[in-house]
Amino acid sequence: MMIDQAPALIIIVPLFVSLVLTLAGSLGPRVAYGLLLCGMAGSLLFSLLALGQVVTDNQAIHYRMGDWPPPMGIELVIDHLSGLVLVLVSACALLTAIYSLRTAAEDNPDRLNHYYALFALLVTGLLGMTASGDVFNLYVLLEISALSSYGLLARGRGPAYYATFKYLIVGTIGACFYLLGIGYLYIMTGSLNMLDLAEIISRPELQDSVSIKIGFSLMILGVWIKMALFPLHAWLPNAYSKAGITTACLIAPLMTKVSVYIMLRIMFTVFSVDYIFDSIAWSQVVIYLASAAAVIGMITALAQRDLRMMLTYIVVAEIGYMTGGAWVANAAGYTGAVYHILADGLMTLCLFMAVGAVIYRTGQTSLAAMQGIFKRMPITAVVLVIGAASIIGIPPTCGFFSKFYLIQGAAQAGAWVFVAALLIASLVAAVMFFKMLEIAFFGDLKALEQEPGGGHGHGSHDGHDGHGALPAVARQEAPLSMLIPMVITAASLIILGLYTKEVVNYFIGWSIPAGF
Amino acid sequence: MKRLTLVILAICALIMLAAAVDLPNWADPSSPASTHLSPDFLEQGYGETATPNIVTVVLADYRSYDTMFEAVVVFAAALIVLVVLRRTPRQRSKMVQHRPVREGRDTVLRGAAQLIIPVMQIFALYVVGHGHYSPGGGFQGGVIFGASFILLALCYNLQFTIDRFKEQAVLFCVAGGVLLYAGVGAICLAMGWNFLGYAGLAGILGVSEVMARSHGILLVEVGVGITVFSVMMSLYYDLASGGDLDEGL
Repeated sequence: MMIDQAPALIIIVPLFVSLVLTLAGSLGPRVAYGLLLCGMAGSLLFSLLALGQVVTDNQAIHYRMGDWPPPMGIELVIDHLSGLVLVLVSACALLTAIYSLRTAAEDNPDRLNHYYALFALLVTGLLGMTASGDVFNLYVLLEISALSSYGLLARGRGPAYYATFKYLIVGTIGACFYLLGIGYLYIMTGSLNMLDLAEIISRPELQDSVSIKIGFSLMILGVWIKMALFPLHAWLPNAYSKAGITTACLIAPLMTKVSVYIMLRIMFTVFSVDYIFDSIAWSQVVIYLASAAAVIGMITALAQRDLRMMLTYIVVAEIGYMTGGAWVANAAGYTGAVYHILADGLMTLCLFMAVGAVIYRTGQTSLAAMQGIFKRMPITAVVLVIGAASIIGIPPTCGFFSKFYLIQGAAQAGAWVFVAALLIASLVAAVMFFKMLEIAFFGDLKALEQEPGGGHGHGSHDGHDGHGALPAVARQEAPLSMLIPMVITAASLIILGLYTKEVVNYFIGWSIPAGF
Repeated sequence: MKRLTLVILAICALIMLAAAVDLPNWADPSSPASTHLSPDFLEQGYGETATPNIVTVVLADYRSYDTMFEAVVVFAAALIVLVVLRRTPRQRSKMVQHRPVREGRDTVLRGAAQLIIPVMQIFALYVVGHGHYSPGGGFQGGVIFGASFILLALCYNLQFTIDRFKEQAVLFCVAGGVLLYAGVGAICLAMGWNFLGYAGLAGILGVSEVMARSHGILLVEVGVGITVFSVMMSLYYDLASGGDLDEGL
């Protein structure tokens, strides 16, 4: 019975955690932390159960909310694709929840319960969007995840309010586009259920309808704004880089990946391969956009002096990879895009966690914080290297395999611009991370003197006296609550890379849309 | 920059106009929206839920899962305003705010408030409860109920209202309303039905499945009402006092 209800429980468990955290305002921070962990672990458990069932039965689970049959009621659909993304989201959320023990409590001394309630609500929204089989329900959950992310991001320091306000405006415009698109589809079809919509849209009389084409364009445009595709990305770096450490770890890897998932759903579930690549001939333009996103994102990242600014521009570049993979219109490109959702979710999480730990220990966010990192925080440094290797695409890590599929897909489609963009972006990423590691290993002494307090900051942030330990830097590893999730994430990058073939055969291969 | 904005807006408007070409006419009875699902709702709605107001049936039963998350959106709004604005006593008195000081007793104002508020509240309860038969329901009733308390705060002062309805109690209602909604769903799930399948309440309430759906709709509407009214109060408390909850407008 639990298995049958798993699709609902994936979403309901974090929702209840959020409500209980708000109700029990006076619980201690430990209880709040425990509750959050339970909620995230519950989601992960039920996601795994649901995915296991999908794989054993080899068919999608359709869960009827309120026992109403689909076109009338709302259904949740868990298939190979959404099951995989559900596991990714709940696993990343659980790791971030474990990671948050120190940072969340320090960033939110007074409102930890409410912060965690928003955390759980954001995860509810992301999981709900992924599992939903109804375009309007997806919009409602999009609003929930967006709203809670505004709240979380606004808790950051300094100009976070301003950056979040910009994000709020842009994000709302994106959501409006999506809603408007649904409106057109509903007027023309009378349905909101994804599978029902797909059936109606595939009828010959609607193939040439201008309204449906514009509805599709509006929905895709809305999702592009939400996922920060290249010309629409300006809100992202500021909003994400000013956030608190935990918030950045939660939002940066997941929000954009789930938006990419929504794009794939709209393209291949609601609409079809034939419709998108024949009736709407945009793919050339989109591939150019994606290539520009990859190259410009990485080059801008190279130019950054701030660690997290750098990572956020990497996110922008990675979005280009996935978009390009989805729009080259063949099976290899699609496989690469879906595999990259997983890989990028994990590697972005890995980098944000490692950088978060460095910021937590040194108290600075600039590249100078990396000096002597191998001596002071050896484990964090190794995690950072693995994450960087994955972004660059060095073989045993999963970043290599996703790029392999993407390049293969692009080459098959003859999209040489995209192939070039992927290679250039990888090279730039390599330059960027070697620059970072150079600072880490050899510690640019001039920069050390210029940064006021830079050399003393190693230990003094934690209350210890930094002066005594100045020449031989003291070992200051990140706390265990941060190390454990970091190491798990870094290990999963390699494990996912080693099991690429299995992941592609058992999961992604089944979700390749008909027509490729 | 402004010109560029205008150009973009003009292009958007043209696209919208182009999209309107093959839309069905307004209120066209043969449009897809009126022929695909609406007949099913209209024909089966009453028989399956014993609730004559089909809008309520679609909102709170067929698409109840959406409505639950609409209530969660309202809940999230209160939570965010609280997280962003509410200050702890330590951080207070950093900002000088100019608030109008009201002195003396506004007899007419208060007298009028005393007359209106009870009527508003009873009307709000009626709107919540009568959602089955007429336009209304949790969102509308909750807004009216919340407005009555805001009127109280405006005509007396914020402190007067906070003394009677503490912040903790308001927050309890904010989460409690959604919890009632989701709890009803969870009970159905525990009774062996799917989440929010109100027919699962039949065993507990001792009525038929159709009546159980009607009662389920009422329960979730009450949950929505509680959340909406308390969120309005919570927002007013925080916004009116700049997050200090000392004295308001």
